[in-house]
Amino acid sequence: MSSLSLTEPALPAVVARSPLQLFWRRLREDRVALGALAFIGVLVVVAAAAPLVVEVAGTPPPDAQSSEALDDFGSPTGPSAAHPFGVDELGRDVFSRVVYGARVSLEVALISTGIAVVVGTIMGMVAGFYRGWVDTVLSRLMDILLAFPILLLGIGLASACALGNGCLGGIVRPGLSTVVFVIALASWPYIARIVRGQVLSLREREFVEASRSIGASNLRIMRVDVLPNLVAPIIVYTTLIIPTNILFEAALSFLGVGVQPPTASWGQMLSEAVGIFDTAWWYMLFPGLALLFTVLAFNLVGDGLQDALNPKTGR
Amino acid sequence: MAGYLARRLLWVVALLLAVSAITFAIFYTLPSADPAAMRAGRQPTPQLIAQVRENLGLDQPVYVQYWRYMRDLVLHFDFGFSYQSNAPVREQILDRLPATLSLTGGAVVLWLAIGLPVGVISAVRRRRWPDRLAMGLALVAISAPVYWLGLVALYLFADDIGRFPLLPGANSYEPISQDPAAWLGSLVLPWLVLAASFAAFYARLLRANLLEAMSEDYIRTARAKGLPERQVVLRHGMRAAITPIVTVVGLDVGILLGGAVLVETVFNVPGIGRLAYDAIRTADLPVIQGTVLFGAFFIVVANLVVDLAYAWIDPRVRTA
Amino acid sequence: MTSTILRRIPVGIGIALCAVAIAACGSDDGDDDSGGGFASGLPVEGAKKGGTLKVVSASDVDQIDPGQAYYQLTYLVTSATQTPLYAYKPEDPETPVPVLAESDPRVSPDGRTVTVKIRSGFRFSPPVDRAVTSKDVKYALTRGFFPSVANQYVQNYLGALEGTGPVVEGDTRELSGIQTPDDRTLVLRFTTDIGATAAQALVLPASAPVPEEYARRFDAKKQSDYGFNQVATGPYMIRNDAQGKAVGYQPGRRIELVRNPSWPGAESGDFRPAYVDRVDWTIGGNPTVIGRQVLNGRDMINGDTVPAPIVKQAATRSKEQITFTPLGNRFIPLNMSEPPFDDVNVRKAVAAAIDRTRLQLVRGGKLTGKVATHFLPPGSPGFEAAGGLEGSGHDFLAKPEGDMQLAAEYLRKAGFSNGRYSGPAISMVGTEDDPGSQVVLDQFRRLGFRVNYRSLSQEAMFGACAVPARKVDVCPNYGWLPDFNDGYAYLYGTFNGKAIAPQQNSNWSQLNDPRINAAMDRAARITDPEERAEAWGRIDDQITAAAAAVPTYWDDVPNVQSRNVRGVIARWNGAWDLSFTSLE
Repeated sequence: MSSLSLTEPALPAVVARSPLQLFWRRLREDRVALGALAFIGVLVVVAAAAPLVVEVAGTPPPDAQSSEALDDFGSPTGPSAAHPFGVDELGRDVFSRVVYGARVSLEVALISTGIAVVVGTIMGMVAGFYRGWVDTVLSRLMDILLAFPILLLGIGLASACALGNGCLGGIVRPGLSTVVFVIALASWPYIARIVRGQVLSLREREFVEASRSIGASNLRIMRVDVLPNLVAPIIVYTTLIIPTNILFEAALSFLGVGVQPPTASWGQMLSEAVGIFDTAWWYMLFPGLALLFTVLAFNLVGDGLQDALNPKTGR
Repeated sequence: MAGYLARRLLWVVALLLAVSAITFAIFYTLPSADPAAMRAGRQPTPQLIAQVRENLGLDQPVYVQYWRYMRDLVLHFDFGFSYQSNAPVREQILDRLPATLSLTGGAVVLWLAIGLPVGVISAVRRRRWPDRLAMGLALVAISAPVYWLGLVALYLFADDIGRFPLLPGANSYEPISQDPAAWLGSLVLPWLVLAASFAAFYARLLRANLLEAMSEDYIRTARAKGLPERQVVLRHGMRAAITPIVTVVGLDVGILLGGAVLVETVFNVPGIGRLAYDAIRTADLPVIQGTVLFGAFFIVVANLVVDLAYAWIDPRVRTA
Repeated sequence: MTSTILRRIPVGIGIALCAVAIAACGSDDGDDDSGGGFASGLPVEGAKKGGTLKVVSASDVDQIDPGQAYYQLTYLVTSATQTPLYAYKPEDPETPVPVLAESDPRVSPDGRTVTVKIRSGFRFSPPVDRAVTSKDVKYALTRGFFPSVANQYVQNYLGALEGTGPVVEGDTRELSGIQTPDDRTLVLRFTTDIGATAAQALVLPASAPVPEEYARRFDAKKQSDYGFNQVATGPYMIRNDAQGKAVGYQPGRRIELVRNPSWPGAESGDFRPAYVDRVDWTIGGNPTVIGRQVLNGRDMINGDTVPAPIVKQAATRSKEQITFTPLGNRFIPLNMSEPPFDDVNVRKAVAAAIDRTRLQLVRGGKLTGKVATHFLPPGSPGFEAAGGLEGSGHDFLAKPEGDMQLAAEYLRKAGFSNGRYSGPAISMVGTEDDPGSQVVLDQFRRLGFRVNYRSLSQEAMFGACAVPARKVDVCPNYGWLPDFNDGYAYLYGTFNGKAIAPQQNSNWSQLNDPRINAAMDRAARITDPEERAEAWGRIDDQITAAAAAVPTYWDDVPNVQSRNVRGVIARWNGAWDLSFTSLE
């Protein structure tokens, strides 16, 4: 996964220079990014209203197993009137599972990214603002985390916490909590590094000097002067990290250490497809396309935001 | 330079120690399952479990266990023994290394060969159709899960099940020493799939960096001096744009050497990644732990190599 | 990725009381239904010698050391490389035939002494390359008690040997209970009258001779690595170097078997013909991909599981490439030690609700097994007495596709007035990639159960389900492969109250019914085969009636071969027999 080389691409040199209006204007003109944003909106609605969508579509619920849809050897049947996307090896409807899978993908990506952003921002601000040994310790901590092969670490954590009563006194057990934990753990150093860099350059600026000269406390300076200027790059990097985390969750599920069956997850559906995809192509195609379009949409939005922020590298 | 080197090496050692410590914490102290019971075999008697616990020092306090673990690791490169087969983990990993090296090496060559030219062309033909096409494809390639691309590739082109049988499918890997032709054939599809994701990323990255570099003043100066555009781009623009690429290549190679789990699983290439995956199936913690440590080692070394290369090229970095 | 059936051969715990001769522990002839045009897997006349057989398996063997082998898959290797005292012929899983032994074991009238005479002519493979004596069998059995080897079978079946205590503690390498008066005689002395049953254990690979002077240094380590340096006494051996290191075994990758130059062959009385010259075994990959390779390729056979899509492909397009072998049973134990399954009505409700035809379907359909109505499978003694295929008519098992109405009735009897379960949540641990686990989960939920479901690897699942203290309520992926074909071997370890153990328990239902326990003790002493079968059949019925577990089906294990392979199935193992399989 090349997601890990995120630190390098087009880092907006100095963020707060472009006035907000310029940013919005450029964004509004980017039709592709807007289209992607709309798609994401629709996806969120579909995920949130999954039961309704399934009902309207007339397909069975995602957990409903059925022997009729399997042939005499237990092989799943393909797309048909009753099952537009076909069924899986237990006779469950693939369309419903794809719709519900959206929930898992979005939930996991948003929650874990959210945690990563909060933790990363705090750590980055503290490191950049206080500098000195605090910075050293935190930066070293980030380096250590970044030294781990993240996918293997995720696998390792998930396996270790599958035995016995789980880890951390039972908080981390196989399933959603492990996935969120692993992804958040892997993502926060990136945000922290970006934030730290920004804070380092911001703290030397005049308005910060000004606040300091009138006796504002560090906390106040961080909150009032620094934080608002971090919002834009944080947003940009968040939208860059979300698609990576969606793929990360799918990868963990593909490897069997993600969300637990029978919960539908796109990555898990793909892992089940490995044995039968040569005859049951629908099982590979639809979850894969769902992943592709979702991640593509987020990438387009991320690109759009980046371009709006920094037109030099735009299209 | 020597001072920088010394400092970096010291940090590498510290980093590896830290990584080992955390790995120890994850695999020894976090799980609440009884490691003696896990290691004692399939249906051990209580006396046997107690024996194993004593034999392996699992009844010692944590810091003693950690010391033993570090001692074995550092002095003997001993990664422990597999729960499943009792084979030494280190042998298993080293046995898988050639396959992972083959996969990584070929993929790197391929993705640089594809990604870099595409990036340059895109930057130069900015906003025209080659750019749009290339960037569109690249975007799709990085948005698709790599294992899905693998499955699609197999579905289309594998010679046993594909619609257009062209290339050997999954499970056809042979070591190069045994059958070079089969080795090569079995790796073509995995290389292409792996290269597709990475090439796309590099193309985008290079394009962005090159565009940024090209908007700098010295480029305008070079043009004003009448240098041919080709030289301007390739000599001056690329020099600035290429350095982040080098960093990223180093990092990516480091990561892949730890095992491209996803691709190795789909194509059944017997590399380190698949070893880790097989170990999950049997909850073989020592093996998983070994692969994590190995992977971390490669990443750290790759980071070091990249940093040293930078320091050698750009002396300013050494004082950082 | 579909189910990997890593079947475990579980250990029968406790003292067996099969008091007289081995024949009494045998059974009536089971007939298996292998009609339908599929390969029979029986040995053939006029098979050709030579060639390289290729085995492909998704999983690795467990411990390659024959003194530690546990998985069905590992037995494929050990039955080709080792010569235990007794072995089963591939087509007859009931009668142990003397191989290294000269004749049947002699059990003393008081049941405390077993004497075996050993043939001459067998030798160890290079680099040891010397004749096998009774001392080598003694060492093989003794080392099972070493902490560094720790063979569970040996410790359980032969645990009553005199003098085992100090060996287990590591205080000595000498087992006083095994004596070798001369090079060809082995005497086992027990502290109780368990002799006849213990003699059954001599078919296990652990009884294959091990040269002490060579193995000692490996066994002296904390965990013996003799397995990686083993020598062979069978027709084949793992390829090794001049020092004896078994370089032909690369864990997780491959196993290479070559002919054992020291094997005497048929003149010694060994019934194994050993047609092929080499066996190349590749490990790893997706079971479906592997199955496809076997069906479409040449010279190949599968090592382990054959998933449903492959069953379909072979059964529809090339019947002669697939065989089905009945082996063992599967059932869903319900933890009776605490609510809600301490209530027989709740158990019967669950049994009534389970759709066993769907369980059969997701494994690959009717060809892969028969819906079970009790626990003893077809071909085992007592099968008919327990009701045969139809069962004895318990209402909650009458409908294979499940009977939700009856289930609701039983729930009402249990106090749930609206016919749906509304008590506390239950815990269930299924196996990843086992579609059956999810089918069972679904059916529990339809009854109204709230289920805390975890899907784990097979190892982790055992770690949870086999420890009573973990209080798992249901573990859907359970089954039993007997050590020998007798009611005792099927039912004691799984349903006798005395077999409940705090670690590695095999009685997952934790059934502890004094009447059933007493009936088992009585039945274990019966010597007349027909009476014995009758008695165990009735015990099976009693267990079924108590609804301690839900019998789901009786496996017909599929195995596939390439077109040019004349495969022979070792029916006692449900897998190919490498010493009998040949190529065209």
